Amino acid sequence: MNPCFYWIDRPVSFRPGETVAAALLRAGIADLSPEGGVVRGRVFCCIGACQACVVAIAGEGAVEACLTPARSGMRLSPQPSLGLRHD
Amino acid sequence: MTDLAKTDLAKTDLAKTDLAMTELPVLVVGGGPAGVAAAVALAEAGLRVLLIEQRDRLGGAIHRQPAVGAPQIWRGPARHRRNWAELASRLEHVAERIELRTSTVFLGIDGAGRFLFDDRMAGRVFARPVRAAIVAVGAVEKIAPFEGWELPGVMSAGGAQVLLKETGRPPEGPIVVAGSGPLLLAVAAQLARAGNPPLAVLERGRPWHKPKALARLMTAGAPLAEAASYAAVLALKRVPCHVGSEVLGVSETGQGLTIRVRAGSAESLLQARHLLIHDGLEPNRAGIPLPAPGAEVPVLLAGDGREILGADAAILDGQRAASAVLSRLGHAASAAPLEAALSKARNFQLALAEALRSKATPPTPQTMLCRCEGRRYADFAALPADASAREIRLMGRFGLGACQGRFCGPMLAELRGEALPTANPPRWPLRPVSVAALANFSTDETES
Repeated sequence: MNPCFYWIDRPVSFRPGETVAAALLRAGIADLSPEGGVVRGRVFCCIGACQACVVAIAGEGAVEACLTPARSGMRLSPQPSLGLRHD
Repeated sequence: MTDLAKTDLAKTDLAKTDLAMTELPVLVVGGGPAGVAAAVALAEAGLRVLLIEQRDRLGGAIHRQPAVGAPQIWRGPARHRRNWAELASRLEHVAERIELRTSTVFLGIDGAGRFLFDDRMAGRVFARPVRAAIVAVGAVEKIAPFEGWELPGVMSAGGAQVLLKETGRPPEGPIVVAGSGPLLLAVAAQLARAGNPPLAVLERGRPWHKPKALARLMTAGAPLAEAASYAAVLALKRVPCHVGSEVLGVSETGQGLTIRVRAGSAESLLQARHLLIHDGLEPNRAGIPLPAPGAEVPVLLAGDGREILGADAAILDGQRAASAVLSRLGHAASAAPLEAALSKARNFQLALAEALRSKATPPTPQTMLCRCEGRRYADFAALPADASAREIRLMGRFGLGACQGRFCGPMLAELRGEALPTANPPRWPLRPVSVAALANFSTDETES
C-alpha cells in the first residue's frame, strides 16, 4: 500500500519520490484556494516561481507544493487567506 | 598589549582572511544545464564550488529526471540526453570540489551582504560567505492574461511538462493547449505520446504569414528536427493544431472548464478538464541582486535566467559565466569561442519570435493580472495614466504579492509598453520561509 498524507482531512496516497503537487493532482485535487479568499490557489508553474501552489504544513510552515517531496503523515491545508483585504 | 603586538595580530588576521578568501567557494544557484556547466567549469579550474538546487536532484526543468519508480514515457531528444550525460560525468570527476546542497532555496542577499539559503529538509536558514556568485535559475513563462486564467485547472504548459517528466503520467481528462511558442507543440506531442493527446493546440501566431522569418528558422538544424518530430506525433495522433487562434476566457463548469476560443474572427466553446497556457519565456530575475561591476563579491547571471537562448546555449552560457568569474578572480580562463554559438542561438530565438509575433486580445476589466493580490485589469486602468512604476506598485499593489511580480510584471510591461522596475535593492526572502527556519538561523557550520 502506498503511504499517504492528509489534505485537510482527506488521505492522499503518494508514490515514493512524488511531490505534494503531483500527488494532489493525481487524486483529482486541483483547487488549493484558501477558504473565503479573493484569490484562487492551484498548481501552475511547477518550478517554485508563481507561488500559486503554496500550502501550509501543520507544525512547519508554508511551502510550494510543486517543490516539496510528499512525506508520510504530513498534514496539509490551504494557506489562511490573510492580508488580502486592502480596501 | 603593545602596539607592535596589535599590528602583528592584525597581520595574522589579514593573512587568515586572505587564506580564507581563496578557500571560499564560488556560489552557483540552480542545478539546470547553465548552473551545472558553470559549477563543473569552476571546479575543473581548481576552485571550490557551492552548488544550490531547490529540488532533490539536479537537472532543472529541461533535464528533469523521473521520480524514482515513475515510468519514463519519453526520454527527450537524443542531443539533450547526450548533453546531460556529459555534464553529469564531468561533475562526477570534480565532485570533491563541489559541495552540492539540494532541497535548498536561495533566499537572496540580506542588508549585511550575506547570501542566505533555506535548507528545506533541515528546516533551517543558513548563510555562507562566497567569493563570487553565478545565478542560473532559468526562465519563467509569460502569460497573456484572459478572464479565468487564475482558476484551478489552468496550468502553465511548461509546468505541465515538468510534471509529466517527473511522474511519467499525463493528467486525466480532456486537455487544451494554448498561447504562443514552440513549447505548445512539444508539450502537446509529449502528452500524446504519454497516452492523452490534447483536444486541440491553439497558437496565436500565424507563422505561415512570415515567410522570411520561417526561412531563417529553416537553417536551425537540431531544433528544427525536434519541432518536426513533434509535428509528426501530433499528425499521427490527429491532434488539431490551429494558428491565429487564442483563448478569450475560461470559466468553471462542474468538474471542468468551459473555454471560449477565437479562431480568426469566429468564436466557439470547448469543454476540457485542463487548460495549459504559455506565451513565451522571460528570464527569472525577480529579486536577484546584481551589484555594480567591480563589487567585492561579483554576481553574474547565466543561462535562460540571463537571456532566453534555450537549453543547448544554456550550457555554453554557464561556461561563459564561469570563465568571467575565473578571470575576475585572477585565474586563467579558457577562451573557448562561445560567443559565435551564443549569437547563433540568439538569431534563432529572434527568428522564432518574429515568426510567431502576434498581439493578444486586450484583457477585459475583470481579467486578473496579479493573482497573488487579486488585482484586475480594472484596478490597473484606474491608476493615473502617468503613474510611475513606484505608484503602480504602492497604489495598485502590482508586483507586491508572493510571486514578487514574476507573472504580472511581464503582463504590465506588455500593457504599458515599458517594464516595471523592481525594488532596488531587491528584498529578501525571495521565497516563503518559515519563522522556525529563520529562528534556526546559523552561519556556515564550517566557519569557526
